[in-house]
Amino acid sequence: MDNFYLISSTVFFLVGFVLAVVALRSGGKQVGGLNIGIAVAGLVFQSLFLYERGELHGRCPITNGAEVLVFISWSIVIMYLVLGRAFRLSLLGVFSMPIVFLFQSIAIVYLLAADPGAQRPEKLDPWLEMHAAMSLLAYGAYGLSFVAGIMYLVQDRQIKSHQPGRLFRSLPPIRFLSDALFRLLIIGTLLLTVGIVSAFFMEKLPDALHLIVSWAVWIVYAGILAVHLLKRLAPRILSLSAIAAFIFALATLTAL
Amino acid sequence: MSIFCLGVNHKTAPVELRERLAIAEKAIPTHLSEICELGDVSEAVVLSTCNRVEVYGASTDPAGALDALIKYMVAHFEVAPDEVEFYRHENDDAAHHLFEVASGLDSMVLGETEIFGQLKKAYATAQSHGTTSRRMNKLFQQSFSVGKLVRSSTRIQQGSTSIGAAAVDLAEKIFGQLDGCRVMIIGAGEMSRTTAQSLVSRGAKSIIVSNRSFDKAEELAAELDGKAVTFDDWENHLDHVDIIVSSTSAPHTVVHRNTIEHVMSRRRGHSLFLIDIAVPRDIEEEVNAVDNVYLYNIDQLQQIADEGLARRERQISVCREVIAEFLSEKGIEALASSPGEMSSRGRQGSAGRPITNL
Repeated sequence: MDNFYLISSTVFFLVGFVLAVVALRSGGKQVGGLNIGIAVAGLVFQSLFLYERGELHGRCPITNGAEVLVFISWSIVIMYLVLGRAFRLSLLGVFSMPIVFLFQSIAIVYLLAADPGAQRPEKLDPWLEMHAAMSLLAYGAYGLSFVAGIMYLVQDRQIKSHQPGRLFRSLPPIRFLSDALFRLLIIGTLLLTVGIVSAFFMEKLPDALHLIVSWAVWIVYAGILAVHLLKRLAPRILSLSAIAAFIFALATLTAL
Repeated sequence: MSIFCLGVNHKTAPVELRERLAIAEKAIPTHLSEICELGDVSEAVVLSTCNRVEVYGASTDPAGALDALIKYMVAHFEVAPDEVEFYRHENDDAAHHLFEVASGLDSMVLGETEIFGQLKKAYATAQSHGTTSRRMNKLFQQSFSVGKLVRSSTRIQQGSTSIGAAAVDLAEKIFGQLDGCRVMIIGAGEMSRTTAQSLVSRGAKSIIVSNRSFDKAEELAAELDGKAVTFDDWENHLDHVDIIVSSTSAPHTVVHRNTIEHVMSRRRGHSLFLIDIAVPRDIEEEVNAVDNVYLYNIDQLQQIADEGLARRERQISVCREVIAEFLSEKGIEALASSPGEMSSRGRQGSAGRPITNL
């Protein structure tokens, strides 16, 4: 049943992305509303999948690469639904959906090919759960900052080229995008900080590679924020940094 | 009872003639009363804007009413009969004309919204002076519904159709809302004034005007409720502005890349939008390559405006389809017979269906 939920959710995000692209190409005005409806439907099935997997493992369902990808996708969708509207960036969802679709497609292939099954711990460590959940929520915020960075670069390119294309009207103002990008980096880094601090309270410290990777990601993002706060990076540089940092963060996940 | 429309607009009469026929807002009630005293005219609405003067009315003899109205207009405004060519519409044609006017399809700036407010005002004036009744009430109420429907279901309003509008649209895509945006004008020419007025109309504030002739700078600054600075001093204010509109008559560039790079290093990530409407150009083209700086010259803005206009023109047929579909569902309500008319004339017809020339 859990695979059914995951496949349903993935189909919703694919359909949402396709419909949004069609609406954008025809200059439609209802992209935001359509997008939110589909994202909510996809989120419901994502949550059902994670619930079933949580029941299976008796803990937070992040016991293998597939579950981690779904959890990050879930975080991205949650962040979009909570922050996208607050930041007046409903179109963030359109650009997030391909990433969510990609992550979940990989997870489906992995689970269908070799589902490792239940991974019940002998004893539940709440600090471990906290560490993992907060860290992956941070990845959700970073994923969304990656999306906002791409949107910024696209809109910046459209305006600088003097030939605003179809996306020009649908994309938000670049000031909103750069503000949202900065806030998402702060939110992500705060969540990751909580995740890393939680690790100190765990009954058994994670292995060295895990610690190094977590700290490396934290240092990269904290470094970007520090330089931005001190020197005020140009939004284009901040966008490129957020994009590069998320690719790095994803690469570190594969190392784990 | 039939409805009719008589008028001139920007397509049929030059501005010299339109301004002679224009009816001042204060004089409209008097004209409404006088028009309603002409022959069989029982209802009247006068619409007078810079691009059109139109009279809508109801009469049992529309052809006679239109003839009388032309005589009235010619006599009252002292124009020679062969000097002006009024268009005249009756019944369905009159209603269709009004629906297109309400939708902005007959406007000089295709799809503009100002006409909608002007129509509402014209109708309210006539209503408050008792020169509207069932026909005009139905006709104008329906025209408002059609106007709203066309604007909400088509892309007739999308895109900029003038240099000023293109500049404002770009500014909004850079800064979001323009409330609080600070504007500097270098060169107090007519184009600067028009562009600055477009920006101010959307909320831009803190206008700084600089010009070689300080008197002219002060004059424009006063008009825009801004501040004038001397031409030697404008560079010192660059740190605090978001939008620069430049249109000097200098034969060489006055804003250089190194100046802007220097300014951007102090602006802490704030974007800068430069609008160069001077010929020859005032701003070095390389300025656009600076991060977070956006430069548009007059040709680039004109191209956006031309594309916007072409897009709107492509929407005309879509708008007409929307109007036709609306009317096929609802009919022209102003032309439907009232219960009294039906019984007296023995006609059958459901309310809202067009029955013309009763």
